[in-house]
Amino acid sequence: MGTERIKKNRRTFFKTSAALISGTLLYSLMKPFEGLAQTKEEDIQEDKTNFPLWGMGVDLESCIGCGKCAEACKIENNVPIEPFYFRTWVEQYTVKNNGEVKIESPNGGIGGLKQSVPDEEIFKSFMVPKLCNHCTKAPCVQACPVGATFISPDGVVLVDETYCIGCSYCIQACPYGARYMNPVTKVADKCTFCYHRISKGLQPACVEVCPTDARIFGNLKDKKSDLVKFLQNNPTQVLKPHLNTHSRVFYNGLSSEVK
Amino acid sequence: MPKIIFRLLLSFIVFVTVFVLIQQYLTPNSFGKYGHYRADAIDDNKMRTSYYKGEESCVTCHQDVYDLKSEDVHDRVRCESCHFPKIAGSVDCEVMPPKVEGTLEFCAQCHAINLGRLKKGVPQLDFKEHKGDQNCIECHNVHAPWELKE
Repeated sequence: MGTERIKKNRRTFFKTSAALISGTLLYSLMKPFEGLAQTKEEDIQEDKTNFPLWGMGVDLESCIGCGKCAEACKIENNVPIEPFYFRTWVEQYTVKNNGEVKIESPNGGIGGLKQSVPDEEIFKSFMVPKLCNHCTKAPCVQACPVGATFISPDGVVLVDETYCIGCSYCIQACPYGARYMNPVTKVADKCTFCYHRISKGLQPACVEVCPTDARIFGNLKDKKSDLVKFLQNNPTQVLKPHLNTHSRVFYNGLSSEVK
Repeated sequence: MPKIIFRLLLSFIVFVTVFVLIQQYLTPNSFGKYGHYRADAIDDNKMRTSYYKGEESCVTCHQDVYDLKSEDVHDRVRCESCHFPKIAGSVDCEVMPPKVEGTLEFCAQCHAINLGRLKKGVPQLDFKEHKGDQNCIECHNVHAPWELKE
């Protein structure tokens, strides 16, 4: 029966198929030129130029591993005091004479880091403060199925606590391990650069308390800011550059052992 | 038009309309203002309580201590590095003073010997060797460590 119907209306069938195919082709040809039209998105991008672009510099040559930053972060952001939830923490890397690398961070460095390896076995030892790297191409934002985590117009990766469904995909997606599931609010939580402070013109809590000024916070767009000066004066690196996350936390004096 | 096609078309239109209406109703107003997220969440993040007040607020009452600290080696250490707030920033610190016990462990957070801390300009010492179990504040003034007490 089907063949009969096609035979009967062969002309119409060909006409419809031709129209459909040419229509699809025409639409796909137009697609690349859509960008030429003044779209809503473009307006916002122009608007974005007025926003600051926040970033942080970490000077590993100054960090003494006192853990004040990790402690201050917990107080400022109501992070559960239990030893395994951190928005920022300090790791001590110890390279032994036999090439072995030991990484330790008891209680995130709160209370001061203590060297557990005997002095005569140590080749070198250094501290690395870690936090959310506020990636420009954030894997956590791509992983979120509901749009609860996002990059704000001023370049800070934030969490919408009322929108988060607690699936913890973002926690798995983060290559820096900077996210955790908050046991109180039951949603993903992370460093916000103390967004409530920086929007009032204050420094983030970890920067505020650092006794050796190992953390430098500032606006990457402001060429006179402390952070831009720090980047100009020091050869800096980001963590895991091969992942192409384009993070905005810059480390000075980063050794190749740091993961 | 056959009846069945008409019904199908009608139910399809009803389904799409209901879907669009529900979606309109459930999507928050600010969703999509800057991107695929709720723009009001930015303000939610701004509204959180701040506990650390910054040195400016300490100086309003404790200018003398601040001056003493600024002239000695602890000048780069901010007040709240040691006196961390115990209560919400909105409450006066007189209610619950952020008092610090100048114990050995407290000073050791920065001054205990650790190879990772070498060459960073922070004095390190073996506390046992230095003065045994004696408390640091018995000799040192914490705000000006080199103004030794007799």
